[in-house]
Amino acid sequence: MTLGAFVRKNRPQWQRLETMLGVIEARGPRGTNRPFLRELTALYRGTTGDLAYAQTHYRGTTLLLFLHQLVARAHNQIYRPHRLTARAMGNFVRNEIPQAVREHVPAVTWSAIIFLMGIALGLSAVQFDERVASVILPNSVLNSIYSGQMWTGGIFSVVPAPVASTFLFTSNISVALLAFAGGLSCGLLTALILFQNGFMLGVVLRLCANYGLLGSVLEFIAGHGVLEISAIIIAGGGGFVLANTLLHPGSFSRRDALAKEGRKAVRMALACVPALITAGCIEAFISPSHLPVWLKVVLGLTLGGVYWLYLLFTGRPAAIAKAT
Amino acid sequence: MNGTSGTWESRKTELELPEEIDLQVEVANVGSRTLAILIDLGLGGLVIFVVYSLVVLLGHNVVGEWVGWLSSSTLEIVLLLLIFGFQWVYFNLFEWIWNGQTPGKRLVHLRVIKIDGSPVSGIDVLLRNLVRPIDTLGPMGLIGLLMIFVNKKGQRLGDLMARTLVIHEIAIDWSIFDQIENPPEAMSGAVVPGIRLNPEQWELLHRYLNRRKELPDEVRARLADSLHQSLRPAARGTDLERSPLLPEDWLLELAKRT
Repeated sequence: MTLGAFVRKNRPQWQRLETMLGVIEARGPRGTNRPFLRELTALYRGTTGDLAYAQTHYRGTTLLLFLHQLVARAHNQIYRPHRLTARAMGNFVRNEIPQAVREHVPAVTWSAIIFLMGIALGLSAVQFDERVASVILPNSVLNSIYSGQMWTGGIFSVVPAPVASTFLFTSNISVALLAFAGGLSCGLLTALILFQNGFMLGVVLRLCANYGLLGSVLEFIAGHGVLEISAIIIAGGGGFVLANTLLHPGSFSRRDALAKEGRKAVRMALACVPALITAGCIEAFISPSHLPVWLKVVLGLTLGGVYWLYLLFTGRPAAIAKAT
Repeated sequence: MNGTSGTWESRKTELELPEEIDLQVEVANVGSRTLAILIDLGLGGLVIFVVYSLVVLLGHNVVGEWVGWLSSSTLEIVLLLLIFGFQWVYFNLFEWIWNGQTPGKRLVHLRVIKIDGSPVSGIDVLLRNLVRPIDTLGPMGLIGLLMIFVNKKGQRLGDLMARTLVIHEIAIDWSIFDQIENPPEAMSGAVVPGIRLNPEQWELLHRYLNRRKELPDEVRARLADSLHQSLRPAARGTDLERSPLLPEDWLLELAKRT
Protein backbone atom coordinates (compact mmCIF):
# COMPACT_ATOMS: atom_id res chain seq x y z
CA MET A 1 0.00 0.00 0.00
CA THR A 2 1.36 3.41 -0.82
CA LEU A 3 1.57 5.90 1.99
CA GLY A 4 -1.16 7.97 0.38
CA ALA A 5 -3.58 5.05 0.21
CA PHE A 6 -2.73 4.07 3.78
CA VAL A 7 -3.49 7.55 5.10
CA ARG A 8 -6.64 7.87 2.98
CA LYS A 9 -7.95 4.58 4.30
CA ASN A 10 -7.22 5.05 8.01
CA ARG A 11 -7.18 8.75 8.67
CA PRO A 12 -10.87 8.91 9.76
CA GLN A 13 -10.23 6.30 12.50
CA TRP A 14 -7.11 8.07 13.71
CA GLN A 15 -8.85 11.38 13.90
CA ARG A 16 -11.82 9.79 15.64
CA LEU A 17 -9.42 8.30 18.20
CA GLU A 18 -7.79 11.67 18.65
CA THR A 19 -11.14 13.36 19.29
CA MET A 20 -12.17 10.66 21.76
CA LEU A 21 -8.85 11.04 23.58
CA GLY A 22 -9.52 14.74 23.91
CA VAL A 23 -12.84 13.93 25.55
CA ILE A 24 -11.52 11.34 27.99
CA GLU A 25 -8.47 13.43 28.87
CA ALA A 26 -10.76 16.29 29.83
CA ARG A 27 -13.50 14.33 31.60
CA GLY A 28 -11.79 11.19 32.90
CA PRO A 29 -13.21 7.71 32.33
CA ARG A 30 -16.13 8.38 34.68
CA GLY A 31 -17.33 11.15 32.44
CA THR A 32 -17.83 8.70 29.59
CA ASN A 33 -20.05 5.66 29.06
CA ARG A 34 -19.58 2.04 28.17
CA PRO A 35 -20.04 2.26 24.37
CA PHE A 36 -17.58 5.14 24.35
CA LEU A 37 -14.93 3.09 26.16
CA ARG A 38 -15.59 0.07 23.93
CA GLU A 39 -15.07 2.17 20.85
CA LEU A 40 -11.97 3.76 22.36
CA THR A 41 -10.29 0.44 23.08
CA ALA A 42 -11.25 -0.89 19.65
CA LEU A 43 -9.78 2.17 17.96
CA TYR A 44 -6.70 1.86 20.16
CA ARG A 45 -6.09 -1.72 19.06
CA GLY A 46 -6.71 -0.78 15.45
CA THR A 47 -4.24 2.06 15.66
CA THR A 48 -1.56 -0.08 17.32
CA GLY A 49 -1.95 -2.39 14.32
CA ASP A 50 -1.55 0.55 11.96
CA LEU A 51 1.50 1.62 13.92
CA ALA A 52 3.05 -1.81 13.56
CA TYR A 53 2.36 -1.73 9.81
CA ALA A 54 3.77 1.78 9.47
CA GLN A 55 6.83 0.77 11.44
CA THR A 56 7.61 -1.85 8.84
CA HIS A 57 6.70 0.04 5.71
CA TYR A 58 7.01 3.75 6.34
CA ARG A 59 10.12 4.19 8.45
CA GLY A 60 11.36 7.74 8.89
CA THR A 61 8.08 9.41 8.00
CA THR A 62 6.13 12.03 9.90
CA LEU A 63 3.13 9.76 9.77
CA LEU A 64 4.99 7.19 11.87
CA LEU A 65 5.75 9.90 14.40
CA PHE A 66 2.11 10.89 14.58
CA LEU A 67 1.00 7.31 15.08
CA HIS A 68 3.54 6.83 17.89
CA GLN A 69 2.21 9.95 19.50
CA LEU A 70 -1.40 8.89 19.12
CA VAL A 71 -0.81 5.39 20.50
CA ALA A 72 1.17 6.83 23.41
CA ARG A 73 -1.71 9.11 24.35
CA ALA A 74 -4.25 6.31 24.07
CA HIS A 75 -2.00 3.96 26.04
CA ASN A 76 -1.81 6.61 28.72
CA GLN A 77 -5.59 6.66 29.05
CA ILE A 78 -6.12 2.91 28.87
CA TYR A 79 -3.40 1.89 31.32
CA ARG A 80 -4.12 4.36 34.09
CA PRO A 81 -2.69 3.94 37.58
CA HIS A 82 -5.13 3.16 40.35
CA ARG A 83 -7.11 6.14 41.39
CA LEU A 84 -6.15 7.59 44.73
CA THR A 85 -8.95 6.60 47.05
CA ALA A 86 -9.55 7.48 50.68
CA ARG A 87 -8.84 3.82 51.41
CA ALA A 88 -5.46 3.90 49.68
CA MET A 89 -4.65 7.11 51.49
CA GLY A 90 -5.60 5.56 54.83
CA ASN A 91 -3.47 2.52 54.12
CA PHE A 92 -0.59 4.81 53.23
CA VAL A 93 -0.76 6.61 56.56
CA ARG A 94 -1.72 3.66 58.76
CA ASN A 95 0.53 0.98 57.35
CA GLU A 96 3.00 2.09 54.73
CA ILE A 97 4.68 4.95 56.58
CA PRO A 98 5.32 3.01 59.84
CA GLN A 99 6.45 -0.01 57.82
CA ALA A 100 8.99 2.08 55.95
CA VAL A 101 10.37 3.50 59.20
CA ARG A 102 10.54 0.07 60.88
CA GLU A 103 12.39 -1.39 57.92
CA HIS A 104 15.06 1.27 58.26
CA VAL A 105 15.68 1.55 61.98
CA PRO A 106 19.48 1.58 61.46
CA ALA A 107 19.28 4.61 59.18
CA VAL A 108 17.09 6.41 61.71
CA THR A 109 19.56 5.49 64.45
CA TRP A 110 22.45 6.95 62.48
CA SER A 111 20.42 10.06 61.90
CA ALA A 112 19.79 10.37 65.66
CA ILE A 113 23.45 9.70 66.47
CA ILE A 114 24.63 12.49 64.19
CA PHE A 115 22.07 14.87 65.65
CA LEU A 116 23.19 13.99 69.20
CA MET A 117 26.81 14.41 68.18
CA GLY A 118 25.88 17.88 67.03
CA ILE A 119 24.36 18.66 70.42
CA ALA A 120 27.35 17.28 72.29
CA LEU A 121 29.81 19.22 70.20
CA GLY A 122 27.73 22.38 70.55
CA LEU A 123 27.69 22.02 74.32
CA SER A 124 31.40 21.43 74.62
CA ALA A 125 32.32 24.06 72.05
CA VAL A 126 30.64 26.82 74.03
CA GLN A 127 32.17 25.53 77.23
CA PHE A 128 35.56 25.72 75.58
CA ASP A 129 35.05 29.13 74.00
CA GLU A 130 31.88 31.16 74.25
CA ARG A 131 32.64 33.10 71.06
CA VAL A 132 31.69 30.01 69.03
CA ALA A 133 28.09 31.04 69.57
CA SER A 134 28.52 34.18 67.49
CA VAL A 135 29.36 32.03 64.48
CA ILE A 136 26.07 30.17 64.41
CA LEU A 137 23.51 32.34 66.23
CA PRO A 138 22.11 35.63 64.93
CA ASN A 139 23.12 38.80 66.78
CA SER A 140 19.67 39.61 68.10
CA VAL A 141 19.46 36.26 69.85
CA LEU A 142 23.00 36.61 71.22
CA ASN A 143 22.38 40.08 72.62
CA SER A 144 19.21 39.11 74.43
CA ILE A 145 20.92 36.07 75.98
CA TYR A 146 23.88 38.22 77.08
CA SER A 147 21.46 40.59 78.78
CA GLY A 148 19.88 37.65 80.58
CA GLN A 149 16.60 37.59 78.66
CA MET A 150 14.90 35.02 76.44
CA TRP A 151 14.98 36.09 72.79
CA THR A 152 11.60 34.44 72.27
CA GLY A 153 9.78 37.09 74.28
CA GLY A 154 10.86 39.76 71.84
CA ILE A 155 10.00 37.80 68.74
CA PHE A 156 6.63 36.44 69.77
CA SER A 157 5.37 39.76 71.08
CA VAL A 158 6.01 41.39 67.71
CA VAL A 159 5.00 38.61 65.33
CA PRO A 160 1.43 37.33 65.65
CA ALA A 161 1.31 33.64 66.60
CA PRO A 162 -0.46 32.47 63.39
CA VAL A 163 2.24 34.08 61.26
CA ALA A 164 4.99 32.70 63.49
CA SER A 165 3.56 29.18 63.40
CA THR A 166 3.33 29.28 59.61
CA PHE A 167 6.88 30.52 59.38
CA LEU A 168 8.11 27.85 61.79
CA PHE A 169 6.47 24.87 60.20
CA THR A 170 7.23 25.88 56.62
CA SER A 171 10.89 26.41 57.38
CA ASN A 172 11.13 23.25 59.47
CA ILE A 173 9.51 21.14 56.78
CA SER A 174 11.89 22.66 54.25
CA VAL A 175 14.84 21.69 56.42
CA ALA A 176 13.50 18.16 56.91
CA LEU A 177 12.78 17.61 53.23
CA LEU A 178 16.20 18.97 52.34
CA ALA A 179 17.71 16.50 54.79
CA PHE A 180 15.85 13.78 52.89
CA ALA A 181 16.83 15.02 49.44
CA GLY A 182 20.41 15.45 50.67
CA GLY A 183 20.65 11.66 50.70
CA LEU A 184 21.41 11.92 47.01
CA SER A 185 24.64 13.77 47.83
CA CYS A 186 25.70 10.43 49.34
CA GLY A 187 24.37 11.64 52.67
CA LEU A 188 26.78 14.55 53.04
CA LEU A 189 24.11 17.23 53.03
CA THR A 190 21.85 15.14 55.26
CA ALA A 191 24.60 14.72 57.82
CA LEU A 192 25.44 18.41 57.60
CA ILE A 193 21.85 19.51 58.21
CA LEU A 194 21.36 17.11 61.12
CA PHE A 195 24.68 18.06 62.65
CA GLN A 196 24.10 21.78 62.24
CA ASN A 197 20.67 21.64 63.86
CA GLY A 198 22.01 19.58 66.76
CA PHE A 199 25.00 21.88 67.11
CA MET A 200 22.78 24.95 67.24
CA LEU A 201 20.66 23.38 69.97
CA GLY A 202 23.76 22.46 71.96
CA VAL A 203 25.18 25.95 71.66
CA VAL A 204 21.92 27.58 72.75
CA LEU A 205 21.55 25.27 75.73
CA ARG A 206 25.07 25.80 76.98
CA LEU A 207 25.00 29.54 76.39
CA CYS A 208 21.67 29.93 78.19
CA ALA A 209 23.06 27.89 81.07
CA ASN A 210 26.00 30.31 81.30
CA TYR A 211 23.62 33.25 81.62
CA GLY A 212 21.12 31.67 83.98
CA LEU A 213 18.48 31.02 81.34
CA LEU A 214 18.60 27.21 81.29
CA GLY A 215 15.21 26.92 83.00
CA SER A 216 13.47 29.30 80.62
CA VAL A 217 14.94 27.75 77.48
CA LEU A 218 14.00 24.24 78.60
CA GLU A 219 10.50 25.41 79.37
CA PHE A 220 10.28 26.95 75.93
CA ILE A 221 11.51 23.80 74.17
CA ALA A 222 9.52 21.34 76.29
CA GLY A 223 6.26 21.62 74.38
CA HIS A 224 7.44 21.16 70.82
CA GLY A 225 11.07 20.05 71.00
CA VAL A 226 10.67 16.27 71.17
CA LEU A 227 8.24 16.12 68.25
CA GLU A 228 10.23 18.54 66.12
CA ILE A 229 13.55 16.80 66.67
CA SER A 230 11.98 13.36 66.11
CA ALA A 231 10.49 14.43 62.79
CA ILE A 232 13.77 15.84 61.52
CA ILE A 233 15.59 12.69 62.59
CA ILE A 234 13.08 10.52 60.71
CA ALA A 235 13.41 12.62 57.55
CA GLY A 236 17.19 12.50 57.92
CA GLY A 237 16.86 8.73 58.24
CA GLY A 238 15.09 8.77 54.87
CA GLY A 239 18.04 10.68 53.46
CA PHE A 240 20.46 8.09 54.81
CA VAL A 241 18.41 5.31 53.22
CA LEU A 242 18.98 7.02 49.85
CA ALA A 243 22.66 7.54 50.60
CA ASN A 244 23.15 3.95 51.69
CA THR A 245 21.42 2.70 48.57
CA LEU A 246 23.63 4.84 46.37
CA LEU A 247 26.76 3.61 48.10
CA HIS A 248 25.77 -0.03 48.71
CA PRO A 249 23.14 -1.07 46.19
CA GLY A 250 23.64 -4.74 47.18
CA SER A 251 22.61 -7.33 44.64
CA PHE A 252 20.59 -4.87 42.57
CA SER A 253 21.95 -2.46 40.03
CA ARG A 254 22.35 0.99 41.52
CA ARG A 255 19.45 2.24 39.45
CA ASP A 256 17.03 -0.51 40.50
CA ALA A 257 18.07 -0.30 44.14
CA LEU A 258 17.44 3.43 44.13
CA ALA A 259 14.00 2.99 42.60
CA LYS A 260 13.14 0.28 45.15
CA GLU A 261 14.40 1.96 48.31
CA GLY A 262 13.46 5.47 47.20
CA ARG A 263 9.82 4.51 47.51
CA LYS A 264 10.33 3.72 51.21
CA ALA A 265 12.59 6.66 51.88
CA VAL A 266 10.07 9.14 50.55
CA ARG A 267 7.47 7.72 52.94
CA MET A 268 9.84 8.45 55.80
CA ALA A 269 10.26 12.01 54.54
CA LEU A 270 6.50 12.49 54.36
CA ALA A 271 6.11 11.27 57.95
CA CYS A 272 7.69 14.52 59.09
CA VAL A 273 5.06 16.81 57.56
CA PRO A 274 2.14 16.43 60.01
CA ALA A 275 4.52 16.27 62.98
CA LEU A 276 6.25 19.49 62.00
CA ILE A 277 2.98 21.33 61.39
CA THR A 278 1.87 20.33 64.89
CA ALA A 279 5.22 21.26 66.39
CA GLY A 280 5.18 24.64 64.62
CA CYS A 281 1.75 25.48 66.01
CA ILE A 282 2.76 24.49 69.55
CA GLU A 283 5.98 26.47 69.28
CA ALA A 284 4.09 29.62 68.31
CA PHE A 285 0.93 29.32 70.37
CA ILE A 286 1.81 27.35 73.49
CA SER A 287 5.57 27.46 74.08
CA PRO A 288 5.82 31.27 74.57
CA SER A 289 2.56 31.38 76.57
CA HIS A 290 2.27 31.54 80.34
CA LEU A 291 0.73 28.11 80.69
CA PRO A 292 2.15 26.06 83.59
CA VAL A 293 5.44 24.34 82.91
CA TRP A 294 4.18 20.86 83.78
CA LEU A 295 1.50 21.19 81.09
CA LYS A 296 4.08 21.99 78.44
CA VAL A 297 6.28 19.11 79.54
CA VAL A 298 3.39 16.62 79.58
CA LEU A 299 2.19 17.83 76.16
CA GLY A 300 5.66 17.59 74.66
CA LEU A 301 6.38 14.13 76.02
CA THR A 302 2.94 12.81 75.09
CA LEU A 303 3.15 14.02 71.50
CA GLY A 304 6.70 12.75 71.12
CA GLY A 305 5.74 9.41 72.64
CA VAL A 306 2.66 9.01 70.48
CA TYR A 307 4.71 9.83 67.37
CA TRP A 308 7.29 7.15 68.10
CA LEU A 309 4.62 4.62 69.10
CA TYR A 310 2.87 5.29 65.80
CA LEU A 311 6.05 4.86 63.78
CA LEU A 312 7.47 1.85 65.59
CA PHE A 313 4.50 -0.19 66.72
CA THR A 314 1.38 0.51 64.66
CA GLY A 315 0.36 -0.68 61.22
CA ARG A 316 0.48 -4.23 59.99
CA PRO A 317 3.85 -5.78 59.24
CA ALA A 318 4.71 -5.50 55.56
CA ALA A 319 4.32 -9.24 54.91
CA ILE A 320 0.74 -9.34 56.18
CA ALA A 321 -0.21 -6.16 54.36
CA LYS A 322 1.09 -7.62 51.12
CA ALA A 323 -0.74 -10.89 51.59
CA THR A 324 -4.17 -9.33 51.97
CA MET B 1 23.42 10.01 23.97
CA ASN B 2 23.75 13.52 22.78
CA GLY B 3 21.55 16.11 24.37
CA THR B 4 22.20 18.93 21.99
CA SER B 5 20.73 17.38 18.89
CA GLY B 6 17.01 17.35 19.31
CA THR B 7 16.18 15.26 16.31
CA TRP B 8 13.77 12.41 16.52
CA GLU B 9 16.22 9.71 15.55
CA SER B 10 18.92 10.60 18.03
CA ARG B 11 16.74 11.17 21.08
CA LYS B 12 14.04 8.58 20.83
CA THR B 13 13.67 5.78 23.27
CA GLU B 14 11.66 2.62 22.99
CA LEU B 15 8.98 1.59 25.41
CA GLU B 16 7.52 -1.86 25.18
CA LEU B 17 3.75 -2.04 25.25
CA PRO B 18 1.57 -5.00 26.17
CA GLU B 19 0.42 -4.95 22.54
CA GLU B 20 3.89 -6.16 21.58
CA ILE B 21 4.94 -3.10 19.73
CA ASP B 22 7.75 -0.81 20.62
CA LEU B 23 6.50 2.66 21.20
CA GLN B 24 9.02 5.33 20.33
CA VAL B 25 8.85 8.53 22.26
CA GLU B 26 11.04 11.55 21.93
CA VAL B 27 13.02 12.22 25.06
CA ALA B 28 12.87 15.89 26.01
CA ASN B 29 16.24 17.60 25.63
CA VAL B 30 18.01 19.72 28.19
CA GLY B 31 17.03 22.94 26.48
CA SER B 32 13.29 22.41 26.57
CA ARG B 33 13.40 21.04 30.10
CA THR B 34 15.33 24.08 31.26
CA LEU B 35 12.88 26.33 29.45
CA ALA B 36 9.95 24.60 31.15
CA ILE B 37 11.58 25.06 34.56
CA LEU B 38 12.29 28.71 33.83
CA ILE B 39 8.65 29.26 32.89
CA ASP B 40 7.54 27.60 36.13
CA LEU B 41 10.02 29.63 38.16
CA GLY B 42 8.87 32.81 36.44
CA LEU B 43 5.24 32.02 37.12
CA GLY B 44 5.81 31.22 40.78
CA GLY B 45 8.13 34.20 41.17
CA LEU B 46 5.53 36.52 39.69
CA VAL B 47 2.77 35.39 42.05
CA ILE B 48 5.08 35.59 45.05
CA PHE B 49 6.30 39.01 43.97
CA VAL B 50 2.77 40.36 43.70
CA VAL B 51 1.82 39.12 47.17
CA TYR B 52 5.14 40.34 48.57
CA SER B 53 4.52 43.80 47.14
CA LEU B 54 1.08 43.82 48.72
CA VAL B 55 2.59 42.90 52.09
CA VAL B 56 5.15 45.68 51.82
CA LEU B 57 2.65 48.25 50.60
CA LEU B 58 0.21 47.29 53.32
CA GLY B 59 2.99 47.57 55.89
CA HIS B 60 3.68 51.14 54.74
CA ASN B 61 0.01 51.96 54.52
CA VAL B 62 0.42 52.97 50.88
CA VAL B 63 -2.46 51.14 49.29
CA GLY B 64 -4.99 52.54 51.68
CA GLU B 65 -8.53 51.44 52.19
CA TRP B 66 -9.31 49.18 49.29
CA VAL B 67 -7.44 46.22 50.69
CA GLY B 68 -8.53 47.01 54.20
CA TRP B 69 -10.36 43.73 54.51
CA LEU B 70 -7.06 41.90 54.21
CA SER B 71 -5.13 42.16 57.41
CA SER B 72 -1.41 42.22 56.93
CA SER B 73 -0.91 39.05 58.96
CA THR B 74 -3.26 37.16 56.66
CA LEU B 75 -1.19 38.32 53.73
CA GLU B 76 2.02 37.37 55.49
CA ILE B 77 0.70 33.88 56.09
CA VAL B 78 -0.36 33.66 52.47
CA LEU B 79 3.10 34.78 51.42
CA LEU B 80 4.84 32.22 53.63
CA LEU B 81 2.57 29.46 52.37
CA LEU B 82 3.10 30.54 48.78
CA ILE B 83 6.88 30.43 49.10
CA PHE B 84 6.71 27.06 50.78
CA GLY B 85 4.09 25.84 48.34
CA PHE B 86 6.14 26.88 45.36
CA GLN B 87 9.21 25.10 46.71
CA TRP B 88 7.61 21.83 47.68
CA VAL B 89 4.02 21.60 46.46
CA TYR B 90 3.78 23.29 43.06
CA PHE B 91 5.59 20.67 40.95
CA ASN B 92 4.08 17.78 42.89
CA LEU B 93 0.55 19.05 42.68
CA PHE B 94 0.56 19.93 39.00
CA GLU B 95 2.38 16.82 37.83
CA TRP B 96 -0.09 14.79 39.82
CA ILE B 97 -3.37 16.37 38.74
CA TRP B 98 -2.27 17.27 35.21
CA ASN B 99 -0.89 13.82 34.46
CA GLY B 100 2.80 14.66 34.39
CA GLN B 101 2.64 18.29 33.35
CA THR B 102 3.27 21.61 35.05
CA PRO B 103 2.25 24.89 33.40
CA GLY B 104 5.81 25.24 32.08
CA LYS B 105 5.89 21.68 30.77
CA ARG B 106 2.50 22.16 29.16
CA LEU B 107 3.66 25.24 27.28
CA VAL B 108 6.78 23.47 26.04
CA HIS B 109 4.82 20.27 25.28
CA LEU B 110 6.67 18.10 27.77
CA ARG B 111 5.18 15.34 29.89
CA VAL B 112 6.48 13.06 32.61
CA ILE B 113 5.64 9.41 32.05
CA LYS B 114 6.75 6.14 33.62
CA ILE B 115 9.47 4.29 31.73
CA ASP B 116 6.92 1.68 30.69
CA GLY B 117 4.82 4.39 29.07
CA SER B 118 2.09 4.45 31.68
CA PRO B 119 1.01 7.64 33.47
CA VAL B 120 2.76 8.74 36.66
CA SER B 121 1.20 8.11 40.05
CA GLY B 122 1.28 10.36 43.08
CA ILE B 123 4.24 8.68 44.75
CA ASP B 124 6.32 8.80 41.53
CA VAL B 125 5.70 12.51 41.30
CA LEU B 126 6.70 13.01 44.93
CA LEU B 127 9.87 11.00 44.47
CA ARG B 128 11.08 12.93 41.48
CA ASN B 129 10.15 16.33 42.86
CA LEU B 130 11.19 16.14 46.50
CA VAL B 131 14.80 15.63 45.45
CA ARG B 132 14.60 18.54 43.01
CA PRO B 133 16.60 20.90 45.28
CA ILE B 134 19.52 18.49 45.03
CA ASP B 135 19.56 17.54 41.38
CA THR B 136 17.93 20.46 39.59
CA LEU B 137 17.92 23.74 41.44
CA GLY B 138 20.68 25.69 43.12
CA PRO B 139 24.39 25.10 42.76
CA MET B 140 23.94 21.35 42.68
CA GLY B 141 21.72 21.64 39.62
CA LEU B 142 24.83 20.79 37.64
CA ILE B 143 24.41 17.19 38.74
CA GLY B 144 20.94 17.04 37.24
CA LEU B 145 22.07 18.76 34.08
CA LEU B 146 24.94 16.34 33.70
CA MET B 147 22.68 13.36 34.30
CA ILE B 148 20.25 14.52 31.62
CA PHE B 149 23.16 14.77 29.19
CA VAL B 150 24.72 11.45 30.07
CA ASN B 151 21.66 9.30 30.59
CA LYS B 152 20.26 7.81 27.41
CA LYS B 153 16.72 8.49 28.54
CA GLY B 154 17.51 11.95 29.88
CA GLN B 155 16.78 10.90 33.46
CA ARG B 156 18.11 12.89 36.37
CA LEU B 157 18.53 11.23 39.76
CA GLY B 158 14.94 11.94 40.73
CA ASP B 159 13.75 10.35 37.49
CA LEU B 160 15.84 7.27 38.16
CA MET B 161 14.32 6.93 41.60
CA ALA B 162 10.78 7.36 40.37
CA ARG B 163 11.40 5.38 37.13
CA THR B 164 10.09 8.24 35.07
CA LEU B 165 11.23 10.10 32.01
CA VAL B 166 10.29 13.39 30.44
CA ILE B 167 9.10 13.18 26.89
CA HIS B 168 8.45 15.75 24.22
CA GLU B 169 4.99 15.46 22.73
CA ILE B 170 4.79 16.23 19.06
CA ALA B 171 1.68 18.08 18.04
CA ILE B 172 -0.27 15.96 15.60
CA ASP B 173 -1.16 18.00 12.54
CA TRP B 174 -3.13 15.93 10.07
CA SER B 175 -3.40 18.84 7.69
CA ILE B 176 -0.06 17.94 6.18
CA PHE B 177 -1.93 15.10 4.53
CA ASP B 178 -4.66 17.33 3.20
CA GLN B 179 -3.35 17.18 -0.32
CA ILE B 180 -4.31 13.54 -0.44
CA GLU B 181 -7.93 14.21 0.30
CA ASN B 182 -8.26 16.61 -2.57
CA PRO B 183 -6.03 15.11 -5.24
CA PRO B 184 -5.56 17.48 -8.16
CA GLU B 185 -7.78 16.43 -11.02
CA ALA B 186 -6.16 13.89 -13.23
CA MET B 187 -5.04 15.09 -16.60
CA SER B 188 -7.74 14.64 -19.14
CA GLY B 189 -7.50 11.63 -21.36
CA ALA B 190 -3.93 10.54 -21.39
CA VAL B 191 -3.06 7.45 -19.37
CA VAL B 192 -0.48 8.45 -16.82
CA PRO B 193 2.12 5.84 -15.93
CA GLY B 194 2.53 5.52 -12.15
CA ILE B 195 5.75 6.73 -10.63
CA ARG B 196 6.91 5.12 -7.42
CA LEU B 197 8.22 7.37 -4.68
CA ASN B 198 9.44 6.01 -1.38
CA PRO B 199 7.45 7.14 1.68
CA GLU B 200 9.93 9.84 2.70
CA GLN B 201 9.98 11.34 -0.78
CA TRP B 202 6.22 11.16 -0.93
CA GLU B 203 5.82 12.96 2.37
CA LEU B 204 8.39 15.55 1.43
CA LEU B 205 6.56 16.29 -1.79
CA HIS B 206 3.19 16.59 -0.10
CA ARG B 207 4.50 18.72 2.68
CA TYR B 208 5.90 21.14 0.19
CA LEU B 209 2.71 21.26 -1.86
CA ASN B 210 0.70 21.79 1.28
CA ARG B 211 2.81 24.60 2.60
CA ARG B 212 3.87 26.37 -0.56
CA LYS B 213 1.15 29.00 -0.42
CA GLU B 214 2.37 30.23 2.97
CA LEU B 215 5.97 30.61 1.82
CA PRO B 216 7.54 33.81 0.54
CA ASP B 217 7.90 33.65 -3.25
CA GLU B 218 11.66 33.48 -3.20
CA VAL B 219 11.77 30.59 -0.73
CA ARG B 220 8.95 28.87 -2.55
CA ALA B 221 10.85 28.95 -5.82
CA ARG B 222 14.13 27.88 -4.23
CA LEU B 223 12.53 24.91 -2.46
CA ALA B 224 10.70 23.88 -5.61
CA ASP B 225 13.96 23.95 -7.46
CA SER B 226 15.83 21.80 -4.97
CA LEU B 227 12.92 19.35 -4.67
CA HIS B 228 12.82 19.15 -8.43
CA GLN B 229 16.49 18.27 -8.44
CA SER B 230 16.23 15.60 -5.81
CA LEU B 231 13.01 13.96 -7.01
CA ARG B 232 13.90 13.87 -10.68
CA PRO B 233 15.65 10.50 -10.50
CA ALA B 234 12.34 8.98 -9.37
CA ALA B 235 10.78 9.96 -12.68
CA ARG B 236 13.47 8.29 -14.73
CA GLY B 237 12.19 6.58 -17.84
CA THR B 238 8.98 8.57 -18.07
CA ASP B 239 8.18 11.60 -20.15
CA LEU B 240 8.28 13.65 -16.96
CA GLU B 241 12.03 13.27 -16.63
CA ARG B 242 12.74 15.72 -19.38
CA SER B 243 9.54 17.68 -19.10
CA PRO B 244 10.05 21.42 -19.70
CA LEU B 245 7.63 22.37 -16.89
CA LEU B 246 8.66 24.91 -14.25
CA PRO B 247 9.83 23.21 -11.03
CA GLU B 248 6.64 23.85 -9.11
CA ASP B 249 4.33 22.72 -11.89
CA TRP B 250 6.59 19.76 -12.37
CA LEU B 251 6.10 18.80 -8.70
CA LEU B 252 2.33 19.15 -9.02
CA GLU B 253 2.44 16.91 -12.04
CA LEU B 254 4.51 14.39 -10.10
CA ALA B 255 2.00 14.38 -7.25
CA LYS B 256 -0.75 13.52 -9.73
CA ARG B 257 1.12 10.52 -11.00
CA THR B 258 2.00 8.87 -7.69
